[in-house]
Formats: sequence, structure tokens, C-alpha cells
Amino acid sequence: MALNVPTELEQHIDEVITHYPQQHKRAAVLWLLHLLQEHFGHLGKEQVEWTATKLGLQPINVWELITFYPMFTAKPRGKFHIKVCRTLSCELCGCGGILERLQRKLGVKPDENTSDGLFTISTVECLAACGTGPVMMVNDELFENLTPDKAEAIINRIKTTGKLEPQPLPPVLPAHPLEKRVLLANMSKPGYKGAIEDYIREGGYKALPKALGMKPEEIVAEVKNSGVRGRGGAGFPCGMKWSFLAKGAGQPIYLVCNADESEPGTFKDRQLLHYDPHQLIEGILVSCYAVGAHAAYIYIRGEMPYGAKILIRAIEEARARNFLGKNILRKGFDCEIFVHRGAGAYICGEETGLIESLEGKRAYPRIKPPFPAVVGLFGCPTVVNNVETLSNIPHIINNGAAWFRGMGVPGSTGTRLVCVSGPVKRPGYYEFEMGKLTMRQLIYDLCGGLQEGRQLKGVVPGGSSMPVLKADQIDVALDFESLRKAGTMAGSGGVIVLDDTVDIVQSTLNVAQFYAHESCGQCTPCREGTLWMEKMLHRVKHGHGRPEDVDLLWDVADNVDGKTICPLGEAVAWPVKAFVTKYRGEFEKACKKNGKEATDEHR
Amino acid sequence: MAEQTVKLTIDGKEVAAPKGMNLIEAAKLAGIEVPHYCYHPKLAVVGNCRMCLVDVGMPKMGLDKKPEIGPDSKPVIMFGPKLTIGCNTSVAEGMVVHTRSPKVIKAREGVMEFLLINHPLDCPICDQAGECRLQEFSVDYGKGQSRFVEEKVHKPKKTEIGPKIMLDDERCILCSRCVRFMRDVAGQDCLGFVNRGSYSTLTCYPGMEPNTNYDLNITDICPVGALTANDFRFKQRVWFLKETKSVCPNCATGCNTVLWSREGVVHRQTPRDNDAVNQCWMCDSGRLHYKFINDPHRITTPTVKSSAMGERLALTWPEATRQIAEKLMPLKGKGSTIAAIGTARATTEELFLFNKLMREILGAELVDCVPHVGEADKFLLDADRNPNTNGAKLTGVAGEPIGSRIPAIAEAIKSGKIKTLIVHGENVVKYGVTEELLAKLDLLVVIDTLPNKVTELAHYVLPGATFAEKRGTFINARNRLQRLNAAIPSPGIARPEWQTFAALLNELGGDGGYLTIEDVFADMARLLAPLAGLNLSKIGDLGVELKPATETKGEAKTESTAAAGAKT
Repeated sequence: MALNVPTELEQHIDEVITHYPQQHKRAAVLWLLHLLQEHFGHLGKEQVEWTATKLGLQPINVWELITFYPMFTAKPRGKFHIKVCRTLSCELCGCGGILERLQRKLGVKPDENTSDGLFTISTVECLAACGTGPVMMVNDELFENLTPDKAEAIINRIKTTGKLEPQPLPPVLPAHPLEKRVLLANMSKPGYKGAIEDYIREGGYKALPKALGMKPEEIVAEVKNSGVRGRGGAGFPCGMKWSFLAKGAGQPIYLVCNADESEPGTFKDRQLLHYDPHQLIEGILVSCYAVGAHAAYIYIRGEMPYGAKILIRAIEEARARNFLGKNILRKGFDCEIFVHRGAGAYICGEETGLIESLEGKRAYPRIKPPFPAVVGLFGCPTVVNNVETLSNIPHIINNGAAWFRGMGVPGSTGTRLVCVSGPVKRPGYYEFEMGKLTMRQLIYDLCGGLQEGRQLKGVVPGGSSMPVLKADQIDVALDFESLRKAGTMAGSGGVIVLDDTVDIVQSTLNVAQFYAHESCGQCTPCREGTLWMEKMLHRVKHGHGRPEDVDLLWDVADNVDGKTICPLGEAVAWPVKAFVTKYRGEFEKACKKNGKEATDEHR
Repeated sequence: MAEQTVKLTIDGKEVAAPKGMNLIEAAKLAGIEVPHYCYHPKLAVVGNCRMCLVDVGMPKMGLDKKPEIGPDSKPVIMFGPKLTIGCNTSVAEGMVVHTRSPKVIKAREGVMEFLLINHPLDCPICDQAGECRLQEFSVDYGKGQSRFVEEKVHKPKKTEIGPKIMLDDERCILCSRCVRFMRDVAGQDCLGFVNRGSYSTLTCYPGMEPNTNYDLNITDICPVGALTANDFRFKQRVWFLKETKSVCPNCATGCNTVLWSREGVVHRQTPRDNDAVNQCWMCDSGRLHYKFINDPHRITTPTVKSSAMGERLALTWPEATRQIAEKLMPLKGKGSTIAAIGTARATTEELFLFNKLMREILGAELVDCVPHVGEADKFLLDADRNPNTNGAKLTGVAGEPIGSRIPAIAEAIKSGKIKTLIVHGENVVKYGVTEELLAKLDLLVVIDTLPNKVTELAHYVLPGATFAEKRGTFINARNRLQRLNAAIPSPGIARPEWQTFAALLNELGGDGGYLTIEDVFADMARLLAPLAGLNLSKIGDLGVELKPATETKGEAKTESTAAAGAKT
């Protein structure tokens, strides 16, 4: 074979392949591509063909993936790949200036390599670090709270030293008195590093032996009784999801942890993964036992390389203590957990898109029925749960459903991790009982209000896909039902604050651009509608709007809304419709700005 | 076993549909079209085009688990908040479906608009025009005007994907029918999408273009002008073409086809749906085989070899028939000096008359057909490349096995025993009856469509008609009797062979009196038990499966009838 893959690398690859069932070794393809790209710098013809041969695929199967997942590149990039987040929260905090400065500094346009081969700048979509925006990554390192000067200094340092220094994890934010930290409790303690010793010292790995002493159906009942609802975005009751699993068909059951955190404005799973991995691992193990799964995959987004490393290390720590592997704690239960890295596609957060991606394909969400509980990963019954949901499980087992139900309000039990980004004094993540605080309290008490001199214009309550609330709608309690009644949703818990300096048309463009970039392209309304909206808003923003564009924008969004295979359709339609409806005057003004027909320049 | 059916209402019409059927098919039962692009009955359901969105309601169930009855004494129907795709929704008892409600119409107009915003406006030069689903559904379900003023997405145009197919990515609506066909039906996972979102582009990996014998099917199932066949591209506008139902003569499978012709020229052949034979596919070798019809060297008139000049003289049909009959008449009763080689590419009717003429009237014993055998694939292509071996067996022309008497014929010519040979449609030089042997004959009569070594040596050459130029039947490998129809006239004064054989029978004192192909079939049905009770109309467009001779009543006329058993 033409490609010279070092023995060590090939051994690593061969080991990774064993993480997947023999007849589904295609599933290892994203891992292979990551490893090959790390070694060779890019994925060209030789890498594609080598991968195809290795996994028994056709080259087109691999080529389809390299062009789908933005983290992969067919062309060599600079030694240091600078990825500047351009999504809403970072835009609100000024990422545009950073991109501009870096381009000027390095003399390249996005996706061009500097002539010395050192740098490539790209814009990327949300890096799930919105509370510390603007952010950028250089290779695997995340740089937060940037300013143009800071960004330039980082580049200068790389240029001088010729290397990239590892960035430490930032300290955990202190709790506000109105918070109730359960999931964040361990990491908030001084000296807690998330190692297995830390976790055990704080009472960890007690739920697992307790669960293994229970019948699986008792655990399912307990989780059902707790009322815990999925924390990924849709809020589906977790216990009910588990009970839909088609068991007894003689097929293995899989549990998949959705750690593809990518809804703009959301960065809660990042904390849980990086600071307390064992809480998640224990949750996964207990859940596997409850649903009858002997293998679980954690699908972690590709842009969290450290998170993947932390999880892999934690899994080995757990294995060393027989919390994982064969005959766990000598209770006769076998369970393996594998870490699977994504490669930069928002759509992998949708559970069936995630499953397709995990199987080594383009992340095209599946039509339903069948649901994953019946036909999921590798055609087997599968339950997909969010990181935060699974992290709650050990606590429910340790303390009981009644304890969990005692927190929050009926229908929204337990605590919720809420992330706040945008121009507030203390952006960040907060954990509190659901329904016990209002949006106003969150913004003005926990976050300390808006930055000096700013007024609140609106707030997106649950990730950028949720309809915006206007400034006079913020006396709403933060629970599933109250937010639904207010015409929006709790979503993924990503709260994006918009102040009076925000240009709503620009923010809508930013959101539309995100979803156009992230549309998988499978189904017609989303594929065509997202880009249409982006182009229209771009034209309007550049002064070439027409009065009819306001209604047209709303109607295009409406033609996407509810017509698509997966919820990405709603994810773009809801915010666009809400922005247009609630801030119509701004759109009308923008469309009238100079009243002239669109010119070729901005069509 | 009776199929389980469920009753549902579609646009106010009650429909009884088999359990498990999807709503597109169920609506079809009620004569209602649910437009769609990605759905194809023979391919996996993917639900990506969203064109078949319909409004689906189910009876509201009371606590007694029975449908709740409303004030109008009808069941209360609960509709979902969202529309549902018809292709992935199965019929259910009591279901109520709206395919034309305002909600559905708006959604469909939306999808149509989305499909068109980045579609190039090149209909005037697009080869799909006239059979383009995008055009058709735009007329039927579109809004008639575009609200899109932005710059369109541009993609590669005119990409050759293999020698047979041209791809235009700007026209592609990404329905993935071709991807699924190549992967799941043709067995070559070679097509895929690259890039993402609106920039998604159909392609194949360089150097790994489609290269199966089924590739051209993707040009049929492509609902738009993205995939076009190089063979047909820019040849004709489809609306000028006449469609004639036919059967592919390229192997014993007998794929049902449509011949597309204009002014006496066949321009293409495409598969026609028949679940009992070929579903809706055909192989490329069969599809492109039609071209010999249009060969400029076709034999157009009867000729006789002029002994004086070594040239061929044209004859009229009556003259040709008279001269040949004159030569054959003295041979009646001297069957041992005559041999005949027919063809299993002929229709059953022709074979029947050929048999009657050779065996019954002239008394020839050495009669057979030439076997044509190739490699079978695992899908449609049969190893037997004759389309009518079972017809040749049923009528008694073919030996058992077919071709087994050919060596004896060659031997008998060599020994001088056989002095007269009649050859229909076969270049027998390739099958052991060499030029030297043919040169020894006192009389060589050849009926064929194209010149070859045999026609060169023949004393009489009579022009035949191709499968596209005549009516008649083939019996396929699974013993299915299927009908050909005449799409075009034969060139010159060439005519269907059954007419030639009927004329000779008349001259030679057979009681034929066959004026029409129906007459021939009627006689055949009277004499050949498996055809009993049939006529050409009864065969229909999809053919009929013949019962093996042992199961039929009535007498089997020839011993080889029994050999016409179903080949599996």
C-alpha cells in the first residue's frame, strides 16, 4: 500500500477497531480519520483509500465523510490551525474583531495557509464555550475570553516559541447562593480534580454497587418515579424512554451517551465531562445495567479532544477498580464503555444523526418510526441519553426518587444546569432547582445583571434554536412547563442574553448562518430553506432589503417548520419566526434602509 | 391465504388497502396521486424529498378502547400537529388522510419552491424535459412563481460518470434514488454525496464510476435531468416519441420494455414494470441491444443469387415465394434431404409455422435451433441469451437439448445426404455449419435481417423483421408467455417472418390460410396444450404464466411440448 502508516499508529487503529462489533467495523472510521489526520496533517487520496481498504469500505464511503465533517481536511493546513468561533454568543462578545485582527496579522483569508506553512485561520461554529466568549481553538487548545490583542499575543507567542502550550482547564466557577449544586457539587469542592480517588472520596461509586444489588426494572421504576426529563433539549422523560426499549429480540442493547454538545449557547456538558467524568461514567454503568446494555458509547464532539482523553483515562481508572469490564464488583454484570469522537457536525446531537455518525456514515437523521429504542445503533435497540441526564442517575439511585422529586417543581424535577452567555456581568454555568428561579433572577441576581450601561433587549432561553423572549417576558419560571407556556422551550439550557446594542437582524443572520452551515443536506426544506434565509438576511443586512422580505423570511421559515426529517427544521424556523415576529420593526427598518433593489454584489 | 386489509379514508374516499401498505400506494388504489421524488417502490424508503407530506388523523380512542363517536355520529379524528410523509406511513384501520388540505397544499408548494430555488433554468436544453418530475409537479403542485432573488448555488455540470451516463449536479435534487439503486440493487456502492447542506453534491470516487450491467437504470429512476443516458442524450424530445410495449429479446428473462420510436426509428428502449419478470429494471446490454434495428445494412428486399453474374437480383415477394415454392415442391416427401435451422429469437408464432412448414409439409427431420449461451448474473440476465427457447421447444423446432441436432445437420450436408437447407435468423457458420458445407448445398434459403456469411452464400435471401417490427410472443425462462408489439415498420419490403412462412405454406399446399397473426395464434392454441384457451388479447401487457404441459388438458401435439417446463 502506498501510504506509510507507522506500525504503532496501525496498532492503535487496530485496537480502536475492536471497540465496535466485527461486522460494523465501519463505525471506527471517524477515529481512523482523526488518527490519520493527526499523523499526516490531512486526508488525501492515499489516506482515503487506505482507510477504505482497512475497513472494507468503498473510497466513496470515506470521501463522503471527509467532506461532511468540517474537522477533516483533504488539503494540508498550516501547522497551527486557528479556529475562531463565529456563532451567536461569541459574536455578541466581539469575535468579529478577533478574526479581522488575525487575518490582518497573518495576511491570509479564512481557510488559506500562510506562506510559511505555519498557520491556517478558519471560522468555526459554536465551540460550546459560550460563557467565556469570544473563544478560539488552536489545534487542540482552547483559548477563552479573547480580545484582538490577546489573540494576537497568542499568535506571537506561537511564532516565537514555535510551539503551542497546553492550556490549563479554567477554575470551576464559585456557586451563587441561589444555586443548588448537585451535579456540580464535587467539582466545586477545593482540590477536586475529577480523578477516581477524588470521586470516591466524595462518595462516588456507591450508586453502582447499590444498583447492582437491585433488579434492573427496579432501577427503571426509580428513574421513572424521579421524573427526570432529558436534558439534551427535548425534555423527554428518561425513564419512559428506557421503558420503550425493545427487549428480548435476542439482539444486544446499546446505551449511547450524547456528549456532542453543540447547541449554540450551551456549555454545560463541557463542565461535567471535563471536571467530573466519573459521575458520568457511574451514571452510564448504572443505566446500562438498568436497560440491559453491556456496551455503551460516549459520542463526544470532536472539538473536545481533552474531554475525550479525560474520559478514556477515567474509563481505565474505573476498569482498574472493576467498576467496569467483566463481572463488575463480582456481581456478574459485564459492561464496556467506549469513547467515540465526532468531527464537527451539530446534527450529530440529534439522536438518530448521532447513531448514523457512530456507525461511520454521514450524520443523516433517520426517519421515524422506527425509533432508536426499537432499531438504533447497529440495528439494535438503543437508548440515547444526554450527559447531564446520565450524570443525574447516580444521585437518584443514592438518594431515591423522592429526594429527586423533592427538588424542582412537578413536571420539572431535579436541578438543571443553565448556561448564560452574552453581555451579562457574570456569564457562566449555574445549577439550580427547576422552576424555583425566574429568568429575571437568573439574569439580574445570579449573573449580576447586564454589563454597565446596557439594557436588556431579549433573551434566548434554551440554546439558539429556541424562540426568543422579549425583555418584558422574563418573569417566567425556569422549568419545562412555564417556558412552554411562554411560547418557548427550556431546550438545552443555553441562555443567550441580548442587550440594547444588539442588531436583531444581524443576530438572526448569525443564527440562520449557523443552521445553514449545519444542515446535513438530506431533506429538502432544511437543505434549501436554511441557506435561502441566510442569503436573504445577508442581503437585507447589506442594505438591499425589500419591504416584502420581512414576510418572505417568516414564510420561508414556516415552510421549513415541521416539514423536515429531524428537529433541525424547527431549530432554525423557531428563532427566525420569533425574531421576525417580536422585533418586526427592526426588520422593516432594515428592509427599507435604502429601498433599492438587490444588486448583483449582494444577491 | 387472504391478505389482511384495513379500511381508511383518503380525501373522503374509502379505501381498503393491504396491511403494511404505505399511504402513497394506498392513495394510488383510490386513484389519488401523492407526488413524490425520493420514494421508489423498489428501493429503501428514505423520506428525504418531503414532497409526499400529507395530513394524517386517527380515530380518538375512548377509555373503552373503542373509537369515540362525535355529534355527527362519526368517529372523532385526531390529527397530529405536523404533517406526515406518506412514504413512511403505513395504512391503519380508521385512518383519515388529507392529501389536498390547505395545510398540505402549502407544505407541498413550499417543498416545490425549495427544490426549484437552486435548480438551473435550463429546461429548454435539458434532455429530461417532457419526462421531468420537477416540471410535472411544478405544474400540478407548484405556485407558478418564484420568490427567490438570491444567487443560486453552482455545482459541477456535465460530469461523465462512466461511459454510459452524464451527471448534471445542478439539476440533482439529492433524492438519492441512484445511490440506493447502485448500492442495494446493482451491488456497486459507488455513488454518494459529498459536502453538506445546500452544497451537497452527488458524485462518485474518481476512477470508480458505475460499471455494472445495470447502470442505466439510474437514468430511468432519476426524477430530474441530473442523470441522462449518453445513448439517448440530445437525440429526441420525448414528447415526439411513440411508446410501444415490448419485450427485450436479449435473453430468456424477457424483461418487459417500452420502445420509443419516431418516424420508423427506435430511439431508445426502457424497462417497463412487471413484478413477475423484471420489476422495473433491465440490464444495459439488453437495453442497448435495440440498436441493430437501425443498422443501415438491413436486408430490405428478397433476393436471388444470379448464377450467371454472381450478383444478387431483387425479387418481389410473390416472385420470391413462387420461385422458392417451385424449388421445394418436388422435395415434398423427400424430407431426409432437407434440414432446417430456426431461431429461438423468433416469435412462437414464427417457430410454429416454421415447424409446420419444415416438418409437416416438407417432412424434414433434421430441424433445430442454435443455442446462445452466455454468463448469467445474479439478477436479471439469464445464461440463455435466446428470448424464446421455451417457444422453440414448445413448437417442436428445437432439439433437446437445443442445438443438439446441429452436428448431425453438418454431418448430413458433408455426406451429401442433405441437399437443401433453410436457415432462419442465425449465422450458422459460427455454429459448425461451415462455409464449405453451405457451398455444397443445392438450395440454401435464408431468412434474416442483417447480412452475414450465410446470406452471402444463400440462393435466396428473404428479409425478416426485428422484434420491434412485428407482433407475436416469446415464452421466457420461467414459462411466461409475453407479447411483442410492432413499434415501427420494417425497412424496404421486409416483413414479419410469419407472413413469409404462411405464404410458403400456402404455395406448398398447407391448409394455412393465415391472414393475421391472430389466426396463427389461434391455430397454435388449438394444437399446443399449454396455450389452450389463450389469444393475443388475453395475454395482456404483462403476459401469462403457462402451466407446464403435464397439467394442461387437451392433447399435446408434439413430444417436445413436455420439455417446455418452467426453468427456474
